[in-house]
Order: sequence, then C-alpha cells, then structure tokens
Amino acid sequence: MKSNRQTLLAAAFVAISAVGAHAHAQLQSADPRVGSTVRAAPPVLTLNFSERVEPALSSVQVTDAAGRRVDAGRLRVDKGNSQQVQVPLRALPAGQYNVRWRVILVDTHKTEGSFGFEVRP
Amino acid sequence: MSTSTLRHALHGGLAQPSKRANLAAVAAVAFTVHGASPAAAHCFAGARFFPATLTVDDPCVADELSLPTISSFKTGDIPAHRELDISGEFSKRITEDFGVSVGRTYTRLWVPGGPGAHGWQNLETTFKYQFLTWPQSELVLSAGVSIEWGRTGNASVGAEKFHTVTPMLFAGKGFGDLPSSLGFLRPFAVTGQVGYAIPTWRRTLTISSIDLDTGEVDFDEERHPHFLQYGGSIQFSMPYLKANVVDLGLPDVFNRMVPLVEASFRTPVRNVVTTGNTLDETNRTTGTVNSGLIYVADKFQIGAEAIIPINRASGKGVGWVAQLHFYLDDIFPTTIGRPIIPISARIGQ
Repeated sequence: MKSNRQTLLAAAFVAISAVGAHAHAQLQSADPRVGSTVRAAPPVLTLNFSERVEPALSSVQVTDAAGRRVDAGRLRVDKGNSQQVQVPLRALPAGQYNVRWRVILVDTHKTEGSFGFEVRP
Repeated sequence: MSTSTLRHALHGGLAQPSKRANLAAVAAVAFTVHGASPAAAHCFAGARFFPATLTVDDPCVADELSLPTISSFKTGDIPAHRELDISGEFSKRITEDFGVSVGRTYTRLWVPGGPGAHGWQNLETTFKYQFLTWPQSELVLSAGVSIEWGRTGNASVGAEKFHTVTPMLFAGKGFGDLPSSLGFLRPFAVTGQVGYAIPTWRRTLTISSIDLDTGEVDFDEERHPHFLQYGGSIQFSMPYLKANVVDLGLPDVFNRMVPLVEASFRTPVRNVVTTGNTLDETNRTTGTVNSGLIYVADKFQIGAEAIIPINRASGKGVGWVAQLHFYLDDIFPTTIGRPIIPISARIGQ
C-alpha cells in the first residue's frame, strides 16, 4: 500500500498547487440573463466571468434576428473588476437578440460562447 | 497569436478602430514577447467543453492528470473475483495538437474468503494527434495509437508478457448548433472512440502434460485475439445550458454538473479459439455501461459512475469508479501546463 500513499500524496500536491492558479473563463452571469425575456433591454450588456479578462483581445457582438449589429460601442472592462465586461447597446425594439462573446484572459486562455435573449414589452 | 485570431478579436465591438487596434497590437506584442498564443487546452470546440470521461478517452489532446482513478467491481470469472484498481494517467502536449499519455494501474484481486493477488498492470502509453477542431459545429476528431508494454507488470494480476498495439480514432460532437427551437437539446454532446488491438504474440504454449514413458509432451495453446474496442458517451452539460441556452438561476453546484452515460465494449475478431474453449465461448463481446456524474470545478473535476456489466462474461453485479482529474494547463499555465513546442497544424483553428 506504499504506492497508494504515494498516489494520494501526489494528488494532494497537485490539488494544493491548484489554489491561486488561473482557469478557463466561465460565464457566470449576464444582464440580460442568458435565455431570458425582458420587457426592456438595459442600455448596457453586462457579462460576468470567473476570471480576469484581457479587453484588447476580447470581443462581444450583439445582433438582432436579421443579423444586424446592435451593440453601440467598444467593449469595456471595469478597472475595479476586470472579470466584468460591458458593451453599450442601442435602444432595442421588441425581438430576438443574440450575444456572441469571445474572451481571452490575462494568462492567454480563451473561451467563447453565445446566447440569446428576447425583448418583449 | 495567429493573424486570423487577432483579426477575429479585432472584429468585435470596434467603435474606435484605430485606438482599439493599437491596444490590440500592444497586447499582441506582449503575448508574443512572452511566447504565448491564446491557449485552448482542456477539450474545447467553440463553446463546447468536453470533460474528461472516466471510461472512454475524451477526443482532445491536453495537459492533464487523472490521479487517482479508483474502481471496484466483480470480474467475469467463475467464481467472480473482486477487483480493486487504483490508477493514474499523465497527459502532456508536445505541440498544441500532439500529445502523449502515460498510465499505470495497481490491481488487487481476491475471491471473498479465498486467496488474493496484487500488483501492477502493464504500463500504457498513448500518442494522440488532434487533427480537426471545428468550433462552429463543436466537432473534434483525433487519431492515436495506444501501446501496452508487455513484461512491465505483474503476471499475478494478469499483466501479459507481450505488447499490445491499438490504433485508435476519437470523436466528440456537441449539439450546440441545433436551432434555438430545440434549445434543451443543445447542451447534449456525444463522444466516441474505436480501436483495433493487436497483440505482438499470436499465442502462448504451456506444457499441460508429459508422458514419462514415451517422452511425448502435450501443450495447451492460448491464443491472443485481436480485439475491436469501441465505446462512447452521451453527456448533458449543465455549464453549457447555463452559459449558452438558459440560465435557470440554479445554485452554482448544479451548474457545474455533467450527467453522463458511458459505454465501452470489446469484441474478439481474429485468432480467438483457445484450447478447451469453443468459438461461442471465446467470441463473445464484453463491456460495461456506466452511468454517473462529473462535477467540473475551475481547475479540476471529480467524477463517479456505476459500472454495469452487459453480460456475465463482463462481470457480476454493479461496480463503481471514481476519479479526481486535474487541468494542468490551468494549474501550471506557464510550465508543465503548456505544450513543449507551441505550434499548431490543426484543421479548423
């Protein structure tokens, strides 16, 4: 069973090393919420990630059902919270919208995804 | 960073192109100076993350460590033996697309109330090349070869004296490209693998009896068959559901779960008849269907599954397997979590 103890020790070492390391970004929340229906879209789309985002190499596109861009400005990362990404939106009429995001973290890991939301006054 | 990647990054949200381009260029230079390109280890295809499955191999090349994987089940022998396996596997990317895995298993075998044996199984090495990644279709294809090195384990637990070479194909497909009207099917994904195991010995002869009068020797012949090995998984990704389909507002612990069913089979297809056995006895497909759950944390995952044999030759009763798996590219992103040579020739990048 000596080998089993060594196995468990090695696993414990890697587990301890994991504390504080970076990881791939997960989309933790969004406003408007993923897949939601809202009465009025907020003026800014907000995405909260699990890791710090590198804004210069990240992108977020918001399109309507016809594929037209409805985001109204460049992506911003909060200086006090670089896990939060914001993109200004135009005034959105009723309809379906799609958000496609691709973020690169400060440690160069990349993650991407997309989701929809609906505006129904 | 590739030109196309930079172009794609620049494409989104450009209200002030020149200023944004300058920022991107500075960042790109900074990444270049550090010798890094956007890393996509783990097993990603677009928005799809394929977790490391416990029974069949995931379709990607990655820097990862499965330690330990522990399984307990009753074998297909008569009477059935109880088998406890404790294994570890270390996978390392040589380039972005090509990697090697080394695995070892410690086995304890015993009959309840009877004798037992313990020791190492043969060392296994797998070379894998991830030749296609198609993000839009969440499709990954890889090819590889696995080698079980003979005489590196203990015969008392069944380790063979010959090598076994298994060319393999791996695939993973997520259903995120289904239309939004089929939203709740989009978190599903399937993975699969197929291989053809070729032992380097055709047979083993052992002396069964010697006639002391005539000096004649009788042998038992044990043939070593070629096996077709195949299996796959079907999985429902709660992380995908939350991030790409609908956020149901569930507690975070549920949003990190991937329920799945795996199946793994092997069928002898050549060189199957052995002394004392009929073709029917030896030409039987064996395998298990395993149902369980993987919890995906930021830098590691934990999985557990029930092992259900498909017939008596595959085992007796329900066993279990559990695994702790580390994402080394996240834990050690600047050292052993990076490919040794950071180049990529993958289709679809």
